Amino acid sequence: MNKTKKKVGLIVWLIIVAALAVACVLTGLGGEKAETIQETMRDAVLHETNRISLFGLMDVNPAFISGIVVTVVLLVAAALIRIFAIPRFKYVPGKFQMVIEQVVSLFDGLAKSNSPWRNGFLGAYIFGAGVYIFVGTLFELFGFQAITTNGTSISLPAPLSDVNAAIAMGGLSYLVIMSGGIAGNGLNGIGKTLKEISLLISMSFRLFGALLSGLLVTELVYYYINLSFVLPVVVAVLFTLLHALIQTYVLTMLTALYYGEVSEPSHKEKKKVKSKAEKVQSAA
Amino acid sequence: MNIPLNIDWQQILLHLFNFAILAGGLYFLLYKPVKDFMAKRESYYQNMDNETKSKLKEAEELKVSYNRQLSDVAQEIAAKRTEAQKAIDASREEQLQQAREEAARIVETARVNSEQEHNKMLANVQKEISDLALTTTEKILLKGEGSPFEQFLNAANAEKRGEPDA
Repeated sequence: MNKTKKKVGLIVWLIIVAALAVACVLTGLGGEKAETIQETMRDAVLHETNRISLFGLMDVNPAFISGIVVTVVLLVAAALIRIFAIPRFKYVPGKFQMVIEQVVSLFDGLAKSNSPWRNGFLGAYIFGAGVYIFVGTLFELFGFQAITTNGTSISLPAPLSDVNAAIAMGGLSYLVIMSGGIAGNGLNGIGKTLKEISLLISMSFRLFGALLSGLLVTELVYYYINLSFVLPVVVAVLFTLLHALIQTYVLTMLTALYYGEVSEPSHKEKKKVKSKAEKVQSAA
Repeated sequence: MNIPLNIDWQQILLHLFNFAILAGGLYFLLYKPVKDFMAKRESYYQNMDNETKSKLKEAEELKVSYNRQLSDVAQEIAAKRTEAQKAIDASREEQLQQAREEAARIVETARVNSEQEHNKMLANVQKEISDLALTTTEKILLKGEGSPFEQFLNAANAEKRGEPDA
């Protein structure tokens, strides 16, 4: 390709981009907003107005639909990997096999290092939770559209940006920790877990807060057409990636850590029996 | 009951239900098979490692055994060498002894032979001397009567003529 052709191509591309930008601004200015920014953000927190019908059975929050989509996508991917990739695994792994093994070993290692005495179930749980949080958080990047019961279109949020999902995940993690306590120490394990009751709230609302903040910022950015160029690359993509990683790490790490703590077999300290010599010495 | 933030028990249970399906599915489809595979691979390399260690140990033991055998063989060789040296010494001594005896025997034989020769020569000389003496005596005695042959002829002629012996 010579220089002249390159220049022509560059100019055409710039004209197309400029025309699209102008068109976006013009159409954005002319259209009517379905709801104000206050309503949008309030609904992102409370889910009062925008609900989606679940196969006509009941109305659910949009985050639950996101959860179902994430679950289906993950299970299909897992099934495909199980059927096509795992039987072809080799002792000297290729790139894809290495990635899969790294993910599994990451959570397995986390479970083993934090709870060396009991980690089979813990590893499986934090693997599921970690993958769900990570993929669920990245899900909001795709902006899949859904129709609400009001007839408006909304983009599906991250599953855990719904307080109910965050409570479900936090509460389940707490129950898993308690199950570890019971398995390791019986009734004492329940006592040990109840001492950390604040975990129930902290884990739930940490997840909710982190993901909701991402959602609110994204909503805010996309609400105004002027902010919808360039800025989302940083705000949406980078921040979403970052907090997907952080929240995955935080919840799985906390669960593994407390699971290990409460399931650790208790060692009763032997009372020191004073020898006669010591008694005499102390009496003197 | 009106819970703040629109927390809804049904929604929570739905999320739990959804997550339970996901966690179970991921466990059976991904986590367990991958872990099993990794365990299988670990076991394979562990076995290989154990086998190598075992073979190395065997090799070390063999080395020690061979070293010991070499040492034993060296000792045996030294012992046999000493034994052979002794045998050689003994054989040499015996051969020397035999040689000495042979030499003595030869010397003795030579001495006897020379003595016999000496005696024989002496006897011969004596005989020669006696013959010489006899001859000399005969010569002395027969000096006046001519030679014996003439005497024989004379005697024969006298007998023929009938004359008594002179």
